[in-house]
Amino acid sequence: MIFALAGNQNCGKTTLFNQLTGSNQHVGNFPGVTVDQKVGQMKSQPDCSVVDLPGIYSLRPYTNEEIVTRDFLLNEKPDGIINIVDATNIERNLYLTLQLMEMRIPMVLALNMMDEVRNNGGTINVEKMSEALGIPVVPISAAKNEGIEELVQAAVRVAKEKRTTKVIDFCKQGPVHRCIHSVCHQIEDHAEKAGLSVRFSCSKLIENDTRIVDMLQLSQNELELVEHSIIEMEAEAGMDRNAALAGMRYDFIESVCADTVIKCEESKEHIRSVKIDSILTHRYFAIPIFILVMFLVFFLTFNVFGAVLSDLLSLLIDDITALVDKGLTAYGINPVVHSLVIDGIFAGVGSVLSFLPIIVVLFFFLSILEDTGYMARIAFVMDKLLRKIGLSGRSIVPLLVGFGCTVPAVMASRTLSSERDRRMTIMLTPFMSCSAKIPIYAVFAAAFFPQYAALVMIGMYLTGIIIGIIVALIFDRTVFRGKPIPFVMELPNYRFPSAKSVLLLMWDKAKDFLQRAFTIIFLATVIIWFLQSFDSRLNVVTDSADSILAAIGHLLAPLFAPLGFDDWRIPTALITGFTAKEAVISTLGVLMGTSTAALGPALHTLFTPVSAISFLVFTLLYTPCVAAIAAVKRELESGWLALGVVILQCVVAWLAAFGVYLLLGLFV
Amino acid sequence: MPLALAKTGEMQTIRKISGRDDTKRFLESLGFVIGGQVTVVSEINGNMIVNVKESRVAISKSMAARIMV
Repeated sequence: MIFALAGNQNCGKTTLFNQLTGSNQHVGNFPGVTVDQKVGQMKSQPDCSVVDLPGIYSLRPYTNEEIVTRDFLLNEKPDGIINIVDATNIERNLYLTLQLMEMRIPMVLALNMMDEVRNNGGTINVEKMSEALGIPVVPISAAKNEGIEELVQAAVRVAKEKRTTKVIDFCKQGPVHRCIHSVCHQIEDHAEKAGLSVRFSCSKLIENDTRIVDMLQLSQNELELVEHSIIEMEAEAGMDRNAALAGMRYDFIESVCADTVIKCEESKEHIRSVKIDSILTHRYFAIPIFILVMFLVFFLTFNVFGAVLSDLLSLLIDDITALVDKGLTAYGINPVVHSLVIDGIFAGVGSVLSFLPIIVVLFFFLSILEDTGYMARIAFVMDKLLRKIGLSGRSIVPLLVGFGCTVPAVMASRTLSSERDRRMTIMLTPFMSCSAKIPIYAVFAAAFFPQYAALVMIGMYLTGIIIGIIVALIFDRTVFRGKPIPFVMELPNYRFPSAKSVLLLMWDKAKDFLQRAFTIIFLATVIIWFLQSFDSRLNVVTDSADSILAAIGHLLAPLFAPLGFDDWRIPTALITGFTAKEAVISTLGVLMGTSTAALGPALHTLFTPVSAISFLVFTLLYTPCVAAIAAVKRELESGWLALGVVILQCVVAWLAAFGVYLLLGLFV
Repeated sequence: MPLALAKTGEMQTIRKISGRDDTKRFLESLGFVIGGQVTVVSEINGNMIVNVKESRVAISKSMAARIMV
């Protein structure tokens, strides 16, 4: 049996999903962390699976991830719905419940965060509420793992008995009531033919949900009759159709809650959040605080935790390399194999591996921003500024996630409700320097500007942001004309991030990185080693300048001559960077035939400080990696647009690097 | 008057919501309904944080201008 887990954003769906299935999906404290549906098997009921759907406020989709949820419920026809609601905010949450009930799918209501309600002096009469709504109601606390088994039992029971939700008149006698009943009567046959619930179809007709209207296949005459009933209702009720329908639903909810709910006092969590907000969203301090926070994140990542750990790891890798080198030499292994292992794999993968701590630490901070609830505030605070470049505050989240990795950033853009804002945000995320580029900056900064390494790092990030802003301004006035959508977002209470959730996320990212290091980057280094060790007749070359790779590199080198670097090894490194950005460094490691520690000095033979800067600017901006391009293609639903992103990035990168090279050339 | 002009801390009753249908519906699903209550918690440059039902919602100036109280 299949159960759908549906509920408002940020009401604990993913936490419940993890409890039900024993899986470890990342739970954020930001509306819309789940942008994709996830399936898992129930721990206690092996023949049942649960689908975690993106959070929605209503069945009339407003953003793309809401469409995912609506379409799943409509098309997949799950055996049951587990509707999870935040009991501390019950009225708003029940708004979705009423709409779900109209679909007439067996359903249970899970009252989450009941512990918080009780601790603050509130109660909910579960039996009475169950009676009023006609569905089982189970109080739970997903975070504390309370009531989960009862919930599963109840869900399985209603699904087995195929106990569809009752049709309840949410409306009292009045214009809305009359309208709903007359429309229901008119469309009954059509709804049955389309396999839809009559009541659900009726609501969607009133809300003018074109997809459902199409499914009903009403004749022109019938449509006019329906429209006539609705217009009559609008006139009688004195408000438009949407307001009337919403008003009816909330009236019903209020009457149910009046009988069953003793509201809790303002919870401690809420009071605390208001206090924190008075500082973090302060009229004048909000933006300086945000800049300070971001500065701290990068400072701690690059200068304090990450850097120290990375240095230690790099020493360790060098020691292991030396040890293996000695062992292989003592064993007297074939020199070609020796070269493959030491100059290929160890030089390549090793040079990238040492950056693992920096990247994990960066993800740690980004997840803290999200899990505490600060990310939603950032969106609010930055809204005004982002509007100046044609985006809205909601775009800040994908952009910030982009500092970690472009792939989840592009996916996070689904929370944007306007297609224009979404496309523009996707096109801009690659300008936010992703964490895979950190190894490149770090190696070059240490090699050419050891005293100013931190400055170079910050400079790279700022350059990316500034060029992103320029591109946004151009987009806003050319391809993406129009206004960003007005900003509306629920602000979750601040929460202390759970250690488990943060550690799991870090482990996930570390695993991702290691996987990349030992698959794509490993493969890339082996191929590069091969291409630079053999000539076109597959003879081992003594000087890599005679190799196949050199021949390819020479072809491309003239393209980069104006940027100040025309050695054949550089274009090849940039090409491998297309598979994964870390590969730029691993390739240079292989091509220079040096260990991680010696790579820096060796680079002096390829670059001057000025051309090093130009190279860094180029790598900052040029085409995102394959995985990111694939994500862009998926989200923009167009291979051509994805190709456009690649070309755009490369052109911008070339121009920016050329400009920087010329400009710096004037001073040096 | 539009919510954008409401004073911080005063509870207001929503009289009308104007604007595009989809944004209006979205506001309704968040708890902004005619006859419902809303309180401005804070305001930065016209953008506002308001209490509606039991949740806190951040809305931009242009959105706040569409909600009449």
